[in-house]
Amino acid sequence: MAERKLTRKELVKRAGVGAAAVGLGGTAGLEKAFAFAGPHRYTHNDLKYSLSILQWVHFVPAYDKWLDGTYIKAWGQKNDCDVTIDHINLTELPARAAAEVAAQSGHDLFMLLNPRADLEDQVIDHAPIVQEVNNRLKSKMNDLALKSTYNPKTKRFFGFSDGYVPDPVVWRHDLWNDVGESPATWDHVLKAAPKLKANGHPIGIGMSNELDSNMANIALMQCFGSYIQNAKHQPVINSKNTVNVLKYMKNLYESGMTNEIFGWQPASNNTYLYSGKGSLILNAISATRTPEQLGLPFSDNLWIWPIPAGPVQRLGLEHVMGVYVIWKFAKQKKLAMQYLADLEVFYKGHFLNSQFYNFPSWPKAVPNVGKYLAKDTHKPVGKYTILGRIAQRYTANLGYPGYSNAAVSEIFNTSLIPSMFASVAQGKSTPEDAARTAQAQFAGIFKKWRDAGKM
Amino acid sequence: MSHALRRFLGPRAVVLPFAIVLAFPFYWMVITAFKKTTELYDLSSVPFWWHDGVTFSNIRDLFQNTPYVTWLENTALVGVIVVAITLVVALPAGYALARLSGGWGQTMGVGIFLTYLVPPTLLFLPLSRVISDLHLSNSLGSLILVYPSFTIPFSTWLLMGFFKTIPPELEDAALIDGCSRIQALIRIVFPISLPGILTVVIFSFSLVVNEFIYAITFISSSHNRTLSAGVPTDLIRGDLVLWGGVMAATLIPSIPLALLYNAFLNRFIAGFTGGAFR
Amino acid sequence: MLAPVLIAPAVIFILALVGLPLLLAIYLAFSSATSGSLSGHWVGLANFRHEWGNAIFQRALWNTFWFTVISQVIVVLGAGILAHALMHPFRGRWFLRFLILLPWAAPIALGTIAFQWILDPTFSIFNWILVHTHTIGAFCSATGISNCSATSPPNWVGDPTLARISIILVHAWRILPFATVIFIAGIASIPTEVHDAAAIDGATGLKKFWYVSLPLQLPIAIIALLFGIVFTATDMTVAYVLTHGGPFNSTHMLTTWAFTTGIESGSLGEGAAVSLFLLPVLAVVAIGMLIAAKRAEVA
Repeated sequence: MAERKLTRKELVKRAGVGAAAVGLGGTAGLEKAFAFAGPHRYTHNDLKYSLSILQWVHFVPAYDKWLDGTYIKAWGQKNDCDVTIDHINLTELPARAAAEVAAQSGHDLFMLLNPRADLEDQVIDHAPIVQEVNNRLKSKMNDLALKSTYNPKTKRFFGFSDGYVPDPVVWRHDLWNDVGESPATWDHVLKAAPKLKANGHPIGIGMSNELDSNMANIALMQCFGSYIQNAKHQPVINSKNTVNVLKYMKNLYESGMTNEIFGWQPASNNTYLYSGKGSLILNAISATRTPEQLGLPFSDNLWIWPIPAGPVQRLGLEHVMGVYVIWKFAKQKKLAMQYLADLEVFYKGHFLNSQFYNFPSWPKAVPNVGKYLAKDTHKPVGKYTILGRIAQRYTANLGYPGYSNAAVSEIFNTSLIPSMFASVAQGKSTPEDAARTAQAQFAGIFKKWRDAGKM
Repeated sequence: MSHALRRFLGPRAVVLPFAIVLAFPFYWMVITAFKKTTELYDLSSVPFWWHDGVTFSNIRDLFQNTPYVTWLENTALVGVIVVAITLVVALPAGYALARLSGGWGQTMGVGIFLTYLVPPTLLFLPLSRVISDLHLSNSLGSLILVYPSFTIPFSTWLLMGFFKTIPPELEDAALIDGCSRIQALIRIVFPISLPGILTVVIFSFSLVVNEFIYAITFISSSHNRTLSAGVPTDLIRGDLVLWGGVMAATLIPSIPLALLYNAFLNRFIAGFTGGAFR
Repeated sequence: MLAPVLIAPAVIFILALVGLPLLLAIYLAFSSATSGSLSGHWVGLANFRHEWGNAIFQRALWNTFWFTVISQVIVVLGAGILAHALMHPFRGRWFLRFLILLPWAAPIALGTIAFQWILDPTFSIFNWILVHTHTIGAFCSATGISNCSATSPPNWVGDPTLARISIILVHAWRILPFATVIFIAGIASIPTEVHDAAAIDGATGLKKFWYVSLPLQLPIAIIALLFGIVFTATDMTVAYVLTHGGPFNSTHMLTTWAFTTGIESGSLGEGAAVSLFLLPVLAVVAIGMLIAAKRAEVA
């Protein structure tokens, strides 16, 4: 390669900071991750264009440091562009998105953590980006990403998904060993739960108005064949399977959980685990990375498994789905599209620097995921390997088996599913009544968005 | 109970329980700010003291890894300017309304107060449009422009009540001596109303420090944020809350502000006395 | 003619930054606007009707009313008592006053995050105290909380009733110092002549309190109450941060439900409609109380 402004050594050094966190001990992969095929041309500070991005504060501080300090600088150099990223708390994303739409001005790129089909009218059609990435990677995005960003009615992509975070179960191998069980199926979980609770280590699956509870409850439903909508996007919550899963959760609560789970925030199931009390939670791998960092005594006993199998299937949900949108009023649309395409093609850096938190929506973007996962040195060695399978096989989109749409989004954001579970678990309504009530609620919401022409 | 004992206990017996209940979360915040995270998550540890020793790492992280000092500066800057704007606008308005004869003054006074009934959770969207049209997005200027909209009504209303207690004869005397109305205002009335002005300063400043809905929606860059907006952003990462840092971040402005309010309390009381309801 | 000039800046500020946006928000409530967009089709009263029939909205309306009333009753009673006690100078008064002012000095967003931990289902320091002083049994039987024991301590944000109580108490906690200061001002404003006259008339102690002090403090008490009501009913922070409306959407206030509906779910028109429900109710309350305050004033 021709001579570059940023020397190979410098790049490697900076990349090394990120790699060290991953425990890989080597930097060769990262270095290639943003070798943007060509010399860095621009050595002066007067960059011609500017691109503004808004996204969340990543759970892994090292990722944001790498992103802000290394990646966007390198990309900016290559494209004669000054890239700025503003990070905000993930709970502020909805308000911020609404404000930018109201103001008709804001950032060129806005990253959401869940599909917002309701924003379709405010954003461009992201199909060209999808096309470019397909061409460059010679493969397509996975079903999860497709169903999360495509509107089959209008045939437009209302967002571009770069990656997602799978949602495994994180469980205490030592505690489960003590009761001679493992969470292979939900039946096993129910069997083990009373014994675990008797030992002072209840299960921790929330039924509160927050993200984790939402995800866990909907994933549990899927395992029992209960869905919010069917493939034709009609609400089908009132079903025998829904009644079954509600009954199951009530049993699980009564025999194996405590009432703490009704008052949780997104951080609560994590702290439940970190206190040593919880024996199983459904969460992204932040739940294992933090104990590693804090050096908690049981961090080597935290295992990662796919969601337990239910009577119908083993199928979980994504924990968060990265969906970038480019506003119609964005000033730098072309550059923004270029940024996203490059982001996906060179996703390896993001996968590694996020400590395996971020998985690519185009699986071919990081072809040997398993190799990296296996190299993680935290004990038990190889515990992250299963994450690849979980990401590929056991992660569905919000709204499965249909597409993510505005109605599903609203149901999710108003926490109607955890509410349904909680009211049954606390004895406030019978499973049959709860399913019926939910059906009526959902029907109204679906009708509203259909009438608005969004689905 | 002996008379002496009753006199000793008397007011203290009443005040002490209140003080304990109100300030007790702050005691806990102090402990947590210096506590190791591993001890915080340990269910067997005592929340009211340290087991594993004191650590300064939470505070160090707060000052080194986040733009905390910048947030403090931004908040102070916005506070001072907004208070200044409030005084400049509310003083004359309060005075005029106080001296305005007829029911007009009272009606306008009530009308001004009703602006508080509109929640910012509703107003922030149209205001975002205004802010962006004025090219103030992502700058402290957006807050400086918008905050007076909720400090001015209250201050005007308060000052109106206060000015009503100042006998018009004082100003008339000055006018007879040859001052213009404005001169009389500045030389005679305002100095006497110092307590009222201090009241306005304290209340307005506390409203500014507490506001956060506009702060998080108008400003997205971490370095331009104020305290209430910056702390939940940088210290709450996804599902990881840096509790020690958050507690330290809360204590650092609260203690000086409470001291300040306390110091001014006497003057402030005089301000209120003359104000709201005469 | 000088008067309009002096008032003009204030009026312009308020009209521009509150009045106009309010008109736009009112328009939104009658429209089908979604996802931040400031325009939509006219739908008349559909949003209002839809929300009125929504169980969560009804709960939110109920909650807003009761949270406000109960917390402010606590505040007014507490502030009244506290203010009286603080009038007498005593050693340590300055320090105790400092402690009392702390909740008002702490930025509300941050203070509420602290309460998240204080009331946390697993780590709550209240529960820790109850369990470790072995008073939890007595507490549970005295309060009649269901399912309450040392192994299953009260869930301050996960049980609907307890969560409501928690929100009410946090509201009261942050407003109490503010109200106390207002009360102190009121008491300090009673001219000494009044005290002397009362003494001459032979009114002391409770009689004096009922016939002399209380009526004189009534205007100020009403003002304190009014501010407390307004700041509590229009507040979103406490309920949102503590419970986010849960468990099962039972602790929403109008403000948090409006935010969840209008911003988080994108049904902006409905969210605006929910917010607007507050306005006429509070206006009536405010005007009523201001008139009452005026009437209660002693010339």
